[in-house]
Amino acid sequence: MSNNLTSLTNTLATIRQARTGQATPWLRDAQDAALNRIIDNGFPSTRQENWKYTDVRKLAEAYPRWLENRPKPVADGQRQTIDLENALHLVFVDGQFNREASSESLPAGLFAGSLEEIAATQPELLQNHLQRLEAVADSPFVALNTAFGESAVLLLVADGAVIDQPVYIEHFSATDELSAQTRLIVDLGRNSQVSIFEHFASNAAVITNSLAEFCCREGSRLTYCKLQQEHTSAWHVANQYVRLDRDATALTTTVDAGALLARNELNIELAESGAHASSNGLLLADNDRHVESRINVHHAAPDTTSRERYRSVLSDRARGVFNGRILVDSEAQKTAAELTNRNLLLSTGAEINTKPELEIYADDVKCAHGATTGQLDERSLFYLLTRGIDLQSARNMLVRAFASELVADIAVPAVAERTGELLTEIRYTPS
Amino acid sequence: MLIEIDNLHVSVEGAEIIKGLNLNIGPGEVHAIMGPNGSGKSTLAQTIAGHGDYEVTNGSIRFNGTDLLDMEADERARAGVFLSFQYPVEIPGVSNVYLLKAALNARRKAAGEPEIDAVEFMRFIREKASLMELDQQFLSRGVNEGFSGGEKKRNEIFQMAVLEPTFAVLDETDSGLDIDALKVVANGVNQQRSADRSFLLITHYQRLLDYVQPDFVHVLANGRIIRSGDKSLALELEENGYDDVLAAANG
Repeated sequence: MSNNLTSLTNTLATIRQARTGQATPWLRDAQDAALNRIIDNGFPSTRQENWKYTDVRKLAEAYPRWLENRPKPVADGQRQTIDLENALHLVFVDGQFNREASSESLPAGLFAGSLEEIAATQPELLQNHLQRLEAVADSPFVALNTAFGESAVLLLVADGAVIDQPVYIEHFSATDELSAQTRLIVDLGRNSQVSIFEHFASNAAVITNSLAEFCCREGSRLTYCKLQQEHTSAWHVANQYVRLDRDATALTTTVDAGALLARNELNIELAESGAHASSNGLLLADNDRHVESRINVHHAAPDTTSRERYRSVLSDRARGVFNGRILVDSEAQKTAAELTNRNLLLSTGAEINTKPELEIYADDVKCAHGATTGQLDERSLFYLLTRGIDLQSARNMLVRAFASELVADIAVPAVAERTGELLTEIRYTPS
Repeated sequence: MLIEIDNLHVSVEGAEIIKGLNLNIGPGEVHAIMGPNGSGKSTLAQTIAGHGDYEVTNGSIRFNGTDLLDMEADERARAGVFLSFQYPVEIPGVSNVYLLKAALNARRKAAGEPEIDAVEFMRFIREKASLMELDQQFLSRGVNEGFSGGEKKRNEIFQMAVLEPTFAVLDETDSGLDIDALKVVANGVNQQRSADRSFLLITHYQRLLDYVQPDFVHVLANGRIIRSGDKSLALELEENGYDDVLAAANG
């Protein structure tokens, strides 16, 4: 056990002392329990299978220290807000809810604020959420988020409700050497629908630890898009958990296009018949950046379907890691699952580690997986050149073409546009 | 003189394919190059277009008096050189309309002209598409995506019609085409003939030349032009094959 981690106990105590207002006992208990878990288990090492290609030692060294820092005032106009028409806009800066910058009137069921505030207004929902997480989340980052997170969004959608406006949750970090924990809790009632866009940006060396949990009840439809375009010195670790009940649908897109080191882990459980999950993921990295995206899909009931399409574009000396795991329980007959991973390497120094995994215990299923890695097609490049397109534009066209199916699937056009722009910012290394 | 090729020597992967080729093409002229397989026809086409695999070891190519070999492939295209590929590549994810608009605007920008108006552009390309008997729907699909061989060739000529080059090299545009597709392609080429535009038709069979009448016909063999004549030379080759011409050149 390192001194590093035991200091966390003092850090939490200090933070608590600085807080004003009533503390909720059961919330503190949950935080303490999480803290103990971290201290007992420590950070993951590359000797663990799930962390084999992503070395978090530097992150592990910085995290406990940075938790001691507090946010500094942020000047206006620094955020990288995307202009979304008609959205319900929630703004978090350095892990704290910013009420002034957010939409004025929030509909019933949408809560944003400090964890204490949410514990006071929606205790049952928050408690149930914490309990559910307890059962599934063994990541130390989830534990850190629980122990040190200060704010959250809680969205409760009533049965049959269709939320027309997209929910835009904007996270921005601007204070150097600060760690921000973000939390999103979504409970979709029967046959309800919502579209959520979670956006992460920063202009400083920060740590973002993001957590999202979605309960999709019978017949509901969730559209979730996450766009991460953090600062080149930032660390970003995100975990999402989705549970789908009977006939529920989740359409997810995760785009990781920033940060020095980023790891996104999406866990989907198709708990009841008729559930369907369609997950797209895009990894973009240049320079010496490291980006990992993991998806775990658990088919736990018969007649469930999933499709996962993950693509990466890597250049310079970037490192990409993709792990896609499909687990089909023995009772999940008639499961149909399809996992594809395609990787585009734009330089000889870029590298991708890709591992599709299928663990199938039922015998009447259709499961397919494939992974390909390649470079820009020379013939296509030359063809474009002979039409008068300059080399840089020709490369951009082909990179955009490579990701076009995934970008086209992004529900919010403005987000698709921003993603398209990020694609063209990938640098090429002349070989 | 629009194109002046002087003592051209081209190697690919260390092997010399073109061994001293001379050819002059004036404005408004249609030249045909015929020859046996392996004679260097496609090498010539790719070299004119600027493909990096082809190394010019000697000689020169001048285009409107400027050194063409000094220009990159995209520069040559913007200057007015067009290559219709023998085997056009499929590019899913880049739509035909997107490519053409970008290409047309690149050409205009290089000439100091403003970008084309969006509405005028659509009207223009729709007109050309229907001339080449291409279903309008293909415009929004990926370049050559799902196209048959014949459709790909028609797409090449369609692009040529949209980009209006000064010098078009058609590399075995007729190969793999049935008679109906051939007529559509030939019509497309003929519609583009003008005093300001020259063509270099690289063809294996004489058939295309029935529909696109050349001003000059050259025979390319062993990396050199061994005989030149008018369109009757093509008929002679069709009847007798290449043997006589090759023998005469070696004898």
